[in-house]
Amino acid sequence: MRILLTLAVAMTLLSAYTLYSVNYETRVLTDQVRGREKAIKAARRDIAILKTDRAHLARPDRIARHARDLGLGPAKRGQFDTYRSSNRLGRAMTVRSGDEE
Amino acid sequence: MSNGIIITPGLADGALKRPVRSADVQQQAQAFQSERRAARIRSLVAVALMGLAFMTIAAQLVRLAMQGQTEQRISISAPLATAFARPDIIDRQGRLMASDIVMHSLVADPHVVLDQKEIADKLATVLPDLSKTRVLNAIADKTKRFAWIRRRLSDAEAQRVHDLGLPGLDFRPELRRSYPLGRSAGHILGSVNIDNKGLQGIERYLDERQSVEPVHGPSLSARPPLRLSLDVAVQFAVEEELAEAMRRYSAAAAVGLVMDVNTGEIIAAASLPGLDPIITDEHFDKSRIDRLAGGTYELGSVLKTFTAALAFEGGINQATRLDVRQPLEVEGYRIRDLHPAGRPLTVAEIFLQSSNVGAGMLALQVGGQRQQAFLEKLGLTTPLATEAGTVAPANLPGSWGDIETVTISYGHGLAVAPLQFASASAAMINGGYRVKPTFLRKTGRTAKPTERVIASETSHFIRQLMRENVASTRGTGWRADVAGLNVGGKTGTAEMPGIGGYNAKSVIASFLGAFPMDKPRYLTLVCLFEPKGTKETDGKITAGRNAAPTTRRIISRVSPLLGFLPD
Repeated sequence: MRILLTLAVAMTLLSAYTLYSVNYETRVLTDQVRGREKAIKAARRDIAILKTDRAHLARPDRIARHARDLGLGPAKRGQFDTYRSSNRLGRAMTVRSGDEE
Repeated sequence: MSNGIIITPGLADGALKRPVRSADVQQQAQAFQSERRAARIRSLVAVALMGLAFMTIAAQLVRLAMQGQTEQRISISAPLATAFARPDIIDRQGRLMASDIVMHSLVADPHVVLDQKEIADKLATVLPDLSKTRVLNAIADKTKRFAWIRRRLSDAEAQRVHDLGLPGLDFRPELRRSYPLGRSAGHILGSVNIDNKGLQGIERYLDERQSVEPVHGPSLSARPPLRLSLDVAVQFAVEEELAEAMRRYSAAAAVGLVMDVNTGEIIAAASLPGLDPIITDEHFDKSRIDRLAGGTYELGSVLKTFTAALAFEGGINQATRLDVRQPLEVEGYRIRDLHPAGRPLTVAEIFLQSSNVGAGMLALQVGGQRQQAFLEKLGLTTPLATEAGTVAPANLPGSWGDIETVTISYGHGLAVAPLQFASASAAMINGGYRVKPTFLRKTGRTAKPTERVIASETSHFIRQLMRENVASTRGTGWRADVAGLNVGGKTGTAEMPGIGGYNAKSVIASFLGAFPMDKPRYLTLVCLFEPKGTKETDGKITAGRNAAPTTRRIISRVSPLLGFLPD
């Protein structure tokens, strides 16, 4: 009986300690989770603003203005060549480089 | 035990204590035994209780572990939604068009405010457009504990207010809808109210399809973005060219559209003057109405595309010549051409020379009932709605007699929304299939139209006519031609109704275009409202002089963006 009582007391103390530890760890983890959730929310808000800023800066009217300043414009017919004529040009260049040799 | 003397155990060195009688000893022994039994029972009970307690704790731990709950929440009342978290809206390429952001709103606790005048004066220094009277009124009642001062400040403004250090003021984070492209596609996107609830356009569609989450506080939506069929780059090019056309031809308004003829996807849709989704006043400005879908107009000769298709479907031989030299007299009305041909014309020539008399004669030959049924089959006269809202219903004539049949054949007497006209025209170009216009990106099997409304031969015939109308200088649309892109189209100049009849100086100049005509993929529509004659147009206001060159500029800009390079 004495042994049983001693064991029971020991178990009580051990359980109390374990429960306290678990409780403490849970609180710490809960705080950490809350902190991270808050950080995620803040990060998502920042990302939303950055995304909007980026879209605003990349809007076509702004890009078009810069493109025009650089002398760029829509593609025109004269800027393209057919496969056949480019092949002919390639052959002509090969002949010319052969002549140089 | 001898001599009736008992030696008490535990006494040292045989020392005797007081003598005890045998009866007493027995009684004491019995009492000791019963006390020992009672003690044992108490111990057992205590152990049992402790065991029970341990078992209860263990059971509770197991229960919590099974439920997976780490936090118990107590809610006294359900929180009321104070805002609506909306998903992003993106274009077909994934570029952002609308998004929620968190901004700070300035609030006051009038009960805590010490000096009302100081607050009004100091706020005016950092928020100059904030009315002092309004601030004073908001915080006048000391019994109140809450008052809005200014909703949704920028970060810089909020910081400046914070730096004032005024007691009684506080900030409350709130969701705000942001449109990073400004006015671009403003009519399509629509708008939201102060609580972020959709009111018009695609924003309203988001609410209707329950993609919007009611939230308590500034929580951003985690739902996937809504992908539109619009292409931001094409949209901008169309808007810019329309704005340039309005300036160039001194037009009061302009609409433009680029549509995929096979899927009905609208790649760009603009109505100028445009509107900014966040400027509420502009939504009530009549001059900024969405003329593309919100208004109906008589569009003029662009409807001859349908008349030519009707004639072809009605079995009129292409080689048949109709005598268009004299005005057409119907029910007491005389229909005449602006430039009479002076000779009989074939169906193709009627289309190319845009003869009203010829179109009227073709329609009369086929008959009013068949014309009505044909236009209904194309979807021109039936109710239409898109994700951006209901399209204004067509204004049909009260009765569909001969005169109506004739006037409708060349685009008068039937007023339709340009968007509805464009979607009906798609069948003329895509091989004969009816498409439903959509502002959502379509993919896979759902993208292919299945309802045939005209024969593929008819569509082929119309494509040929449209191409010739642009490629040949005999046509009215040659100014829309883009070298190497095989553009086709039809002009339309419709006088606008005014007091006492039609006004010849006030017209809607339209051009229905398509490219590339050997295998059309995209349809364009440009309508200029009340353009003026200029030096460039030799003082003329016909569509061939203004809407056609505007279409040329639009197609030359957007075709590379859509994957078509000049041959």
